[in-house]
Amino acid sequence: MSWKRRLILFVVVMLFASMLGSYAWAAEPGATLDVAPGVPRHETLILENPEGRIADPGRFNRWAQGGGNSTGLQQLALDTLWYIDPDAGIDDPWNNSLAEAPPIYNEDYTQMTVKLRKGIYWSDGVEFTADDVIFTVETLMANPAMSFGAQFQLNVDRVYKTDDYTVVFDLKQPNSRFHAIFTVRWSACFIMPKHIWEKVDDPVAFDFNDPLVSLGPYVLKDYDPNGYWYLWERREDWHRTSLGMQYGMPQPKYALYIAPGPADKRVMAQANHDLDVIHDLTPEGMISLVNRNPLSKGWFDGFPWAHPDPTLPAVMLNNEKYPLNLPEVRWALTLAIDIVNVSMASYNGAATLSAIHVPPTGGYLEWYFDPMESWLQSFSIDVDGEPFYPYDDTVACRVAETVRKQLGDQVPTDPEQLKKALGYGWWKYAPEVAEKLLLKNGFTRDRRGNWLLPNGEQWKISILCHGPTVPTMTRAATMIAEQWTKFGIETKAEPTDLLWTRLDYGDYDVCLAWCIETWGGHPDLFWFLESWHSDYYRPSGEQVVNKNPMRFKNEELDRIIEEIKGRDFDDPACVDLGIEYLKICVKEMPIIPLMAYNVFAVCDWYYWEGFPTADNPYTNPVANWANTKFMFPMIRPTGRK
Amino acid sequence: MPRSFLSYIAQRAVQCVLVILIGITITFFIPRLSPTDPVETAVNQAVMVGQFSHPDAVREMKEALIRLYGLDGTLLQQYVRFWKGLLAGDLGPSLSSFPKPVMTLIRGSLPWTAGLLLTTAVISWTLGNLLGSLAGYYKNQRWASIVGIIAMALHPIPYYIMAFVLVVLLAYVVPIFPIGGAIDIGLKPAFSLVYLSSLLRHAILPSLSLLLVGVGGWFLGMRTLVTNVIAEDYVTYAKYAGVRDRVIMYQYVMRNALLPQITGLAMQLGLIFNGALITEYVFSYPGLGYLAYNAIFAGDYSLIMGVAVFSIVGVSIAVLLIDLAYPLFDPRVKYQ
Repeated sequence: MSWKRRLILFVVVMLFASMLGSYAWAAEPGATLDVAPGVPRHETLILENPEGRIADPGRFNRWAQGGGNSTGLQQLALDTLWYIDPDAGIDDPWNNSLAEAPPIYNEDYTQMTVKLRKGIYWSDGVEFTADDVIFTVETLMANPAMSFGAQFQLNVDRVYKTDDYTVVFDLKQPNSRFHAIFTVRWSACFIMPKHIWEKVDDPVAFDFNDPLVSLGPYVLKDYDPNGYWYLWERREDWHRTSLGMQYGMPQPKYALYIAPGPADKRVMAQANHDLDVIHDLTPEGMISLVNRNPLSKGWFDGFPWAHPDPTLPAVMLNNEKYPLNLPEVRWALTLAIDIVNVSMASYNGAATLSAIHVPPTGGYLEWYFDPMESWLQSFSIDVDGEPFYPYDDTVACRVAETVRKQLGDQVPTDPEQLKKALGYGWWKYAPEVAEKLLLKNGFTRDRRGNWLLPNGEQWKISILCHGPTVPTMTRAATMIAEQWTKFGIETKAEPTDLLWTRLDYGDYDVCLAWCIETWGGHPDLFWFLESWHSDYYRPSGEQVVNKNPMRFKNEELDRIIEEIKGRDFDDPACVDLGIEYLKICVKEMPIIPLMAYNVFAVCDWYYWEGFPTADNPYTNPVANWANTKFMFPMIRPTGRK
Repeated sequence: MPRSFLSYIAQRAVQCVLVILIGITITFFIPRLSPTDPVETAVNQAVMVGQFSHPDAVREMKEALIRLYGLDGTLLQQYVRFWKGLLAGDLGPSLSSFPKPVMTLIRGSLPWTAGLLLTTAVISWTLGNLLGSLAGYYKNQRWASIVGIIAMALHPIPYYIMAFVLVVLLAYVVPIFPIGGAIDIGLKPAFSLVYLSSLLRHAILPSLSLLLVGVGGWFLGMRTLVTNVIAEDYVTYAKYAGVRDRVIMYQYVMRNALLPQITGLAMQLGLIFNGALITEYVFSYPGLGYLAYNAIFAGDYSLIMGVAVFSIVGVSIAVLLIDLAYPLFDPRVKYQ
């Protein structure tokens, strides 16, 4: 053999030897794994950052563009006055975080006073005081291009302190919900460290890096200059943060937020115990994961696993466009949907359905779903002079029955359990009733059975929906399009990347998206409902104001919104008004509610245990929500290394 | 230097500059005609964070962002401003990562893209052409058929599937290689064995995925070309004239068959600046592809322009260089 050939052979053998050697070393029993030099795996909680790779990884200015949000920044380093947990909270969904108590309003809601906690310190040892809150508000007001800047300009007349721990906001007009700006749902206006930012010339350009001073229980230890991971280390003085002060030491010494890539890789990573918290998966990925790793657990311990976010995907109907401006036509479309098939197509049956216009999550079951149940049972629509009762409370059982063919015993049988997991009920699939409603409104069928508008034109519908980024919604839209086509309306699903822009400008007839988002842990509906007031109505072609892309107007609803606005955030009468809103929506059906936005957040109980679940719902496990900070003092190491 | 040569260079250089000018101008206008608006994107993101935003607050924020992003003025004014900046070497600030300069973002990703794609492009081109030549020339040999079958089998596999198969096999079932990333977490850049081996280990799977697909393509192309060339009279004549087989293979056949492949390589090298989005996504590998993808979805005109400028200039210069170098490979081509 020539020396060249021997050399090549030697190199090849060495390459294989080193590969196998490294594999053997990694698999050596008893060896302690490190996720990074000096960072033991068993002391680290690894979470998915669903934002993927961050283009500008060194930017931590949460009040302006750029950088990431779910890198641990808003979960572990930033803090604000209050949090509302979408679930039950550790002791209550409402959490006074940097504030010592809930907001104090004067009688006409033109002034809000905030009492701050004492003994909270920034990670560089400077005390957090009223000056930080005032500085944040004034800085943002001076820079309307930053988040909340323009809102503060519009609302705040003056912000000042009466002592180091009391901040007073004088408002330009009455606003009983002003505190919501500082209340985390999934995010909110966080507080800036005055002693850092006051030295900055251009707050928009400032990266808030070097140093990133933290008000949360962790500090940034390191991050990937390529934007794939962020490593946080517990502060020595964690007890001087709002979280530590209330709930004790956050258990993981380190937290690592990573962008693990596509769903299949997330499954592989967690099956290998390399990813403790998955933000979201496809339903199929979830099934595959629980079959591979018995320690992978979702919100429910078994089917349907997913955490229902307090967001309500719905079939949005542009109420301005004929014939969708007719309530009976909207009802006909509702009755032409077979929700069991939609649930199967979108979530493989793991959807939490909602017949009414709030998501079936958190405390909403008790506040709205239970009280509405008997009304829904007796609710009828007039069909050719006869009452038709459209509500169907057997839907959850029927979905479960269908799924049981695939998953067998993994699907619960207890009807009460099913109701919570899969929804209280939905609307009957009644194409024959839908037909009567359309005929009543002058629609006719052609020889092939397709529906014609009263003017003789063929009725065609295009359902706008998300592209592959939100596959569950695309699948739901496709199934509904199929069902409406079967009913005789020529319908197609139209995935688009410009969904929100087209919704905003009313450039659509039908769309599968969402505009109803609630606190989950608090019954107040004003958060989304305010923009449904006709004062903010904008016709198609003009940009919508926030959350009324269906262009719905209703005088009775205006009254309800005004009444809620005039009442305190915690006034129980607001729930009654909310129920009135729900009844109007059921009668008018401005959009067709479908289901909660279910998220397959999966936690691996291999290194850590005590993650939030439906049985212990102390917080939301969905990793991009700022509320997930409450998970950190609650989980415990399993002792595995 | 002959006059015809100078005139040839001048003509090609003018063509190259024109292509760059037109390419950049088109790329400037197209994103601005799309309905994705960076200001809308920024406002939507900001509004999503909080509760109801009053229409006046939204309008105020929009106006402030338009001024800040330099999107005020007519399209023509923006176009002139863009060229002034570009000629001064400034691509402006990214709009989705405002105010980070576009050049800073590109500088962070370009070395990874260049390192991965340049290496794999050159290796796959060399390997594919070499094997293709041999398989075409010795087409009756058993090994040539086997290599041909393997290449035919690998080439049509969609790249995404190939990448995933490699991840599943070599990072999950037999976890020899890391499941993703470009370097071990926490490792600082250093000229050390630890750093370099980590770099290499992370690059192997993405490189392998690109090589397997790339080699197949070059192999099949070259084999067909060689099969055609060996049927030419001059090859038959050379054989009868007793020219050594190896000389016929390298000097007569391969050199002639290589010409279109060289053009192909030049084009591929130019396209490197587009990045490899799927590779980056599947292997969590940094690069320009993901940067460009996010820029398009955020309507980040400046960043789209930045990546496009590199790509347009890269392809144009590669084509120019090939035009100039072609006569070296093929003496029949003259500088006229």
